[in-house]
Amino acid sequence: MKLPAISYLTSIYLFFYIPIAVLMVYSFNDAQYSLVWHGFSWRWYQELMADTDLWIAALHSLLLGIAAATVAMCIGGLAAINLYRYHFLGRKLLSALIFILILSPDIVMGISLLLLFSFIKIPLGFWSLLLAHITFCIPFVVVTVYSRITSLDEHIFEAAKDLGATDLTILSRIILPLLWPAFIAGWLLSFTLSIDDVLISYFVSGPDFEILPLTIYSMVRLGVKPEINALCSILFALTLLLVIASQLLLRKKP
Amino acid sequence: MKTFLYCFLCLLSIVFLQPALAEDKIVNVYAWFGEIPEQVIHQFEKETGIKVNFSSYDSNEELYAKLRAIKQPYYDVIEPTCDYIGLMSKQHLLTTLDKTQLSAYHNLNPLLLHRAYDPHSQYSIPLIWGITGIFFNTKYIKPNTIRRWSDLWDPQYHHQLALLDDPRDVFAMALKSLGYSVNDNDPEHIKQAYLKLKALIPNVKTFNNVTAALSIDEDILLGISWNGDLSKARQENPSLGFIYPEEGFVIWAETLAIPKDAPHLHNAYLFLNFLLRPEIAKQIALYTNYATANLTAQKLLPDSIKNNPISYPPKKTLMRGEFQTALSGEAAELYEKYWELLKMEK
Amino acid sequence: MQYGSRGFRAGKWYCPMRHDNKVKIFSLSIIWLWLALFALLPFGLIAVASFLSHDQTNLLSLPLTFQNYTTLRNTIYLTIFEQSFYLAGLCTLICLILGYPFAYFIAQCEKRLKWLLLLLTIIPFWTSSLIRTYSMITLLKAKGVINSILCWLGIIHQPLPILFSDVAVMIGLVYNLLPFMIFPLITNIERLDHRLVDAARDLGANRLTTFSKIILPLTLPGILSGCILVFLPAMTIFYIPDLLGGSKAMLLGNLIQNQFLVAQNWPLGSAISIVFMLVLVCLLLIYWRSTRGKAKRTLA
Repeated sequence: MKLPAISYLTSIYLFFYIPIAVLMVYSFNDAQYSLVWHGFSWRWYQELMADTDLWIAALHSLLLGIAAATVAMCIGGLAAINLYRYHFLGRKLLSALIFILILSPDIVMGISLLLLFSFIKIPLGFWSLLLAHITFCIPFVVVTVYSRITSLDEHIFEAAKDLGATDLTILSRIILPLLWPAFIAGWLLSFTLSIDDVLISYFVSGPDFEILPLTIYSMVRLGVKPEINALCSILFALTLLLVIASQLLLRKKP
Repeated sequence: MKTFLYCFLCLLSIVFLQPALAEDKIVNVYAWFGEIPEQVIHQFEKETGIKVNFSSYDSNEELYAKLRAIKQPYYDVIEPTCDYIGLMSKQHLLTTLDKTQLSAYHNLNPLLLHRAYDPHSQYSIPLIWGITGIFFNTKYIKPNTIRRWSDLWDPQYHHQLALLDDPRDVFAMALKSLGYSVNDNDPEHIKQAYLKLKALIPNVKTFNNVTAALSIDEDILLGISWNGDLSKARQENPSLGFIYPEEGFVIWAETLAIPKDAPHLHNAYLFLNFLLRPEIAKQIALYTNYATANLTAQKLLPDSIKNNPISYPPKKTLMRGEFQTALSGEAAELYEKYWELLKMEK
Repeated sequence: MQYGSRGFRAGKWYCPMRHDNKVKIFSLSIIWLWLALFALLPFGLIAVASFLSHDQTNLLSLPLTFQNYTTLRNTIYLTIFEQSFYLAGLCTLICLILGYPFAYFIAQCEKRLKWLLLLLTIIPFWTSSLIRTYSMITLLKAKGVINSILCWLGIIHQPLPILFSDVAVMIGLVYNLLPFMIFPLITNIERLDHRLVDAARDLGANRLTTFSKIILPLTLPGILSGCILVFLPAMTIFYIPDLLGGSKAMLLGNLIQNQFLVAQNWPLGSAISIVFMLVLVCLLLIYWRSTRGKAKRTLA
């Protein structure tokens, strides 16, 4: 890559990562409310280790993200495939509906789901959160998978049919293997959206399932405890390790 | 690929089996964020064996909206600010408290009971109380130059003030400077307060509830804040000062209440009684930096705290204060309308 | 959504073979059930709610009324809409200017590096965006990192009042929304046929002409997707103007949140949401029709 490209990319990456660097540095700040550097201290990490509630919230967010991303990947992937392959009644309505889901602001979605859950008497908690998260992730999976599916050579399907394959075989032996990068991309995107969602979760969360973004939101409005910096630094370090590990693993394959 | 899927399915099954707990040994507490410390919750759980499902909110509006939106009874203990008690009790959202189940009730400070916000103290138990006043940085602003709310309108403070992001507190400031009550429902008075506030907007730099972070690092040198927040800030910046304005000020209390038809009523009373114990109330007071409503606990506090005039002002000062009560429906709507207009002023 | 070029006759997807119905019915019913229950029904409820009234005891009550919509004709709401539109538009423009070259350079990379760079772009988002925005406060404060460095270098003598200004809000918005511009652009620019670019060069077009006549029109769908994904949240996000702007503005997101939470006026909040979505859909439809026409003409 040429020098201007490299320097431009580097400056944008710096823009993305500097606040995270600040976050990590200040997790060692020896001050509770002040945001100016007062000296090095481990105390926030010590308090974090003792604060089980925060870890539980983080774990909950992670589990919710994995579950929501997985279900959304399945439903969204199926929807994208169906929209591409079949011509069915209400196809335009389905596309329009998915489009509206992307368009709608988080806050409207949150309120509408709250209305729905109180209408059909689903208790607020893990299930309401899961259903809400799956719903807002589906359109992103559909768009990701659909844009990949349109680049496939449609003759493959015809050839498979000629050879006598059923739809199920085509799905499992042809479509899924060809599209798995798009599925993974959709999963990653859904996971990212889910673990960072504040607005929708705000309205549909309940008492027995605390999640991290909401805890952080309350903190930001009422006073941030630096142990959240410590938690976020640890989580960030873990994700970096995960990425590096996956890169090394991929490199080993011949 | 197959092992990967297998592990995934295992993980998912853990996720879906997670929320399954025994029915009776639970109490659902919905309280202000950052007020009831974790050790208190764990101590209660250890002593009674009852699991506390603790969730928090950061505004009374969220509490109120959730209570009204969820039709089935859900929470067992809530912690509304005193001005919401009147509103909630009128809408039959609260249980009348059975004091016979609260053996530790006598520990409460009688000055906080039978107040206008809950005349017979039948719905609420005060937990902590505080005052909204003026804070300033003594390094940059001389202590005697600010004594009244009206001093904030001085043009020399252009674009320097931090106001609380709370309509009641901000309007109370204007109402008091005009000589009215903070609970005034008269539309004409409210309009005058709005016009006065409109004139203040050029002086306002931010609407923010986190006074500590703003004031410690000298981002903001003057504004309104809650006294407890300022005590917290003083721990890291001793040049901060707090003033109880001469025209009067708001006194508010965070109270505990039980919503109507709470599913675990007995456990709710156990929890409330636990919080009424002096040692527990003392822990909460130390944790939040606010004044405790528990008189026995107050006596147990270290001298440096119970004699601190910022958290525990003398009786003479308190006489100028006024407890916040609920507004009438029309007044609340006016507040809302004017608040939106104020936020749109440049 | 485009149809394949073969098998596309007379506006219909032409498939000569019959599909066996089981897979189709099974997957379609799951999808329809889910979307009907969790997308159609909730929005229906909001639409209905926008015609209801409210009182002290009930969040939503009869009688049905048009009053919520007529209230919106008040100039306050128009001003709020205008301000939000302007802010979101500016943010989208900045994201586009910053994001396009970024996406272009990444799309030129070879596959492995591309995945890595994309992953590096998405990783910050696995850290809470609220906390990262809060860290921006540490950077932008009066005694923050940026001011301290500038003072130390002697460039300024008084700290710059960046925090609690419109500039801070814009920085925060761009910071949070830039990836939403980058991803659709990358997906689109990847599929750019470089033979067209080479052909243009061969025919003597300079860089600017190549860019404006070939690259830009072909990447227009990606630009559009990116703009939509940035513009919409920018119009309705409220915690960034609150945190970094000092909560001094009443934007659309604050307004809707206000109606639902503070004013407890759910019918009005629903009406505002419906109107907002209708306006957006109209704008998008207009834009789509015009770009479709343009695209057909340039490529013909």
